[in-house]
Amino acid sequence: MKLYIGGAYQGQEELAGRENPGAEFFFAWHEKVRSLLEEGVDPLAYTETFCKEHPQAVVTADEVGCGLVPMEARERAFREAAGRALCCIAAHCDTVTRVSCGIGMRIK
Amino acid sequence: MIILITGGSGSGKSALAESLVPRLAAGRRIYLATMAAGDRESLQRIGRHRRQRASLGMVTAERSCDLDGLEVPEDALVLLEDVPNWLAGEMFGGGDEARMLPALRNLAGRCRHLLLVTGDVFRDGGQYDAETESYLEALAAVNREAGALADAVCEAVCGIPVMLKGKLP
Repeated sequence: MKLYIGGAYQGQEELAGRENPGAEFFFAWHEKVRSLLEEGVDPLAYTETFCKEHPQAVVTADEVGCGLVPMEARERAFREAAGRALCCIAAHCDTVTRVSCGIGMRIK
Repeated sequence: MIILITGGSGSGKSALAESLVPRLAAGRRIYLATMAAGDRESLQRIGRHRRQRASLGMVTAERSCDLDGLEVPEDALVLLEDVPNWLAGEMFGGGDEARMLPALRNLAGRCRHLLLVTGDVFRDGGQYDAETESYLEALAAVNREAGALADAVCEAVCGIPVMLKGKLP
């Protein structure tokens, strides 16, 4: 498994595509977490199962946790859950790449 | 050794800090909890952190401000979690933020190992009211001081330590 993360619009999808032609891609995992929360599904349990079932997946996501803790409980829960889900994916990955300005930095 | 761990929400800072505890030789291992808990959300958070460190043999001290008043043996390891809550205690919980930097230096000098967990809350481009801005500025000042004091500084990213200074034990 591989993970590409970064701030919004930093080019993580493009880099993931370039470095992994033909792979099974899952883009914007943070948005997946948001919709799971809306559906009442535990994002961490879902992500854990996903990782076991897709060991070859290439996942991309935005980093969403580096702002002031939001006042709204739902937004707080989203950021926390998105972070935990990415920790889970990263633990399953051989490589994790953080992308900024289109440039990837291999952090695992 | 002084270690500073920063990172965003849910980035795995606590788990990373706790993973370092068994690697550092110390007498008493003190978990210094600075969050003043009241609501259900913070109690849940505390519950998760308690489970995470159940096996680490740490004693918990709860103190959201005035850290100079904490008794710390010379051979102790202190894991302070976290700086943003400590600042909130000093600023909004009846403390005094002016004593934070001296207290930080004192604490660093009083124990054998100090592990500081802080937060990176500075990247959302938000414009806040004056009180919040002064909180952010004060937190950044403590983080900078801690970064200068620390032997090792890292950012937790998806649970991975990205080194900013020095090396982790």
